[in-house]
Amino acid sequence: MSKNIKIPAEEVLIQVQDLGLSYGSVRAIKNITMDVARNAVTALIGPSGCGKTTFLRCFNRMHDLYPGNHYEGRIIMEGQDLLGNDVDLTELRAGIGMVFQKPTPFPMTVFDNIAYGLKLKGILNRTELTDRAEMALKHAALWDEVKDRLKSGASGLSGGQQQRLVIARALAVEPKVILFDEPTSALDPISTSKIEELIFQLKKEVTVIIVTHNMQQAARISDYTAFMYVGELIEFNETDVIFTNPNVKLTEEYVTGRFG
Amino acid sequence: MPPPGFSMFRGINMANQKVKDYKDKIFRATTFFAAMMVLAVIVGIFLSLAHQSLPAIQKFGFFRFISTPTWDPVHEVFGAASSLYGTIVTTVLAMAIAIPVSIGIAIFITEMCPGFLKGAMGTAIELLAAIPSIIYGMWGLFTLAPIMGDTVEPFLQHTIGKVPYLGSLFSGTPLGIDILTASTILSIMIIPFIASIARDTFNLTPQVLRESAYAIGATRWEVIRNVVMPYSKSGIFGGIVIAMGRALGETMAVAFVLGNKHQIARSLLDASSTITVTLANEFTEADSDMYMASLFYLALILFAMSFLTLAAAKFILKERAKS
Repeated sequence: MSKNIKIPAEEVLIQVQDLGLSYGSVRAIKNITMDVARNAVTALIGPSGCGKTTFLRCFNRMHDLYPGNHYEGRIIMEGQDLLGNDVDLTELRAGIGMVFQKPTPFPMTVFDNIAYGLKLKGILNRTELTDRAEMALKHAALWDEVKDRLKSGASGLSGGQQQRLVIARALAVEPKVILFDEPTSALDPISTSKIEELIFQLKKEVTVIIVTHNMQQAARISDYTAFMYVGELIEFNETDVIFTNPNVKLTEEYVTGRFG
Repeated sequence: MPPPGFSMFRGINMANQKVKDYKDKIFRATTFFAAMMVLAVIVGIFLSLAHQSLPAIQKFGFFRFISTPTWDPVHEVFGAASSLYGTIVTTVLAMAIAIPVSIGIAIFITEMCPGFLKGAMGTAIELLAAIPSIIYGMWGLFTLAPIMGDTVEPFLQHTIGKVPYLGSLFSGTPLGIDILTASTILSIMIIPFIASIARDTFNLTPQVLRESAYAIGATRWEVIRNVVMPYSKSGIFGGIVIAMGRALGETMAVAFVLGNKHQIARSLLDASSTITVTLANEFTEADSDMYMASLFYLALILFAMSFLTLAAAKFILKERAKS
């Protein structure tokens, strides 16, 4: 029995092949090989320090912002190696959105937060910006709450609203993939369930990869789950299998709460 | 009153509470006194300046004093306009040079500088602030002024000097002892203030906010322009005001290279005088009561200017924090 599931080729959007990341002499993650299914939610779980966030940040090359990081292996999306030297990082990051642990609205109005990414892409037409912003906000289930305060500062919104604003901002530029790095860890339970519901809805249009330390969350919203431990991928399978009938003892011990 | 024999504790009782209360009172009175000293000094300086300038205030009034460009000790006709003009023009020009340069320095140090240079650059900037102003003055007179007079100013005359209207700013004989040189020195002196405060506030921008801007496809310049700078606006503004206060009050560096001439010069290549320079140069020569009183009046005006600059800045920052 293989510990990693093989996803049918026609459903695969991204293939991760032998991925590793080291900074200096430290190898933070190594030998990761797995597929990311298109229009599905893939969860990355594991104890603190297992490298799940480091893994996530490889997809949009966040590590390139800091000197001394070195990738190994390949991340192939539709035939293109995202780790290649020929990749335009600005374009890559616009195409692979990211939502962080804490809400990160920019110091601008609600509307400008959404419009910002679009403007970077070269959309300057006022009507189009307004339309797209409205669409993104509706998409992120935030429109009804903010439609009367589009011109006020984004910092005035509640934490949960800010996080949905950030998701709307990522959605507005129509990326193929959105990466979530523990998006609800700073939020209250009601906001959390709204975000979870939203992520669940999102997969109709985008592919989602989410890092979470909350196993129930992974079980609730993801289709596939990857369990990582000390920088390595231990097991990758359909979420049901990981949580009910894992193939590896370590995975079972983790999902049943015996360590972590 | 607690009933006799009452205690908060099971075993050991507190030490004599009366003595402790007494010590606490002394402590409070001491800190209060220290804080009051500040107020007393400010009020005291203001009152003594006002008192000593009273004869001049009575003779010239306020608006007449600040609008009269004549400074004629022989006939005892004193007006602040020329010194005020010099103060304002050198300050504004110095700010115009220093602000963009400082922000550039701060951006380089926080956002682009390779790690090994970061500390060295930061220290260099702070050392620039540690150089005594008299040294800037000497350097300005013996090194910068000849360079300005021989090279920079003739060049400006041959380029911008040919532009209609703008050209008159660079008319006259370039001697190097003039408003432009003084402003350049001033700008070098205030660059460390703006640059180090701007650097500190840029560093306060949360890294995750920067990353989230990169994450939707912003380039380095766009992240700085649209996220880091707006986030740091009030900090930079604060640095600018501190620097402006310093520029308004700077004496020695300017005294060496400004020429101490009481005139409202149309050209930046003319000599001028600032309030501080007038004060530094002329107290020793003030032989009449009215001369002395007029100098005190100038000092009072400078005091008020610095005070108002700071007050306005505080007010603006407060309003900004509200919105």
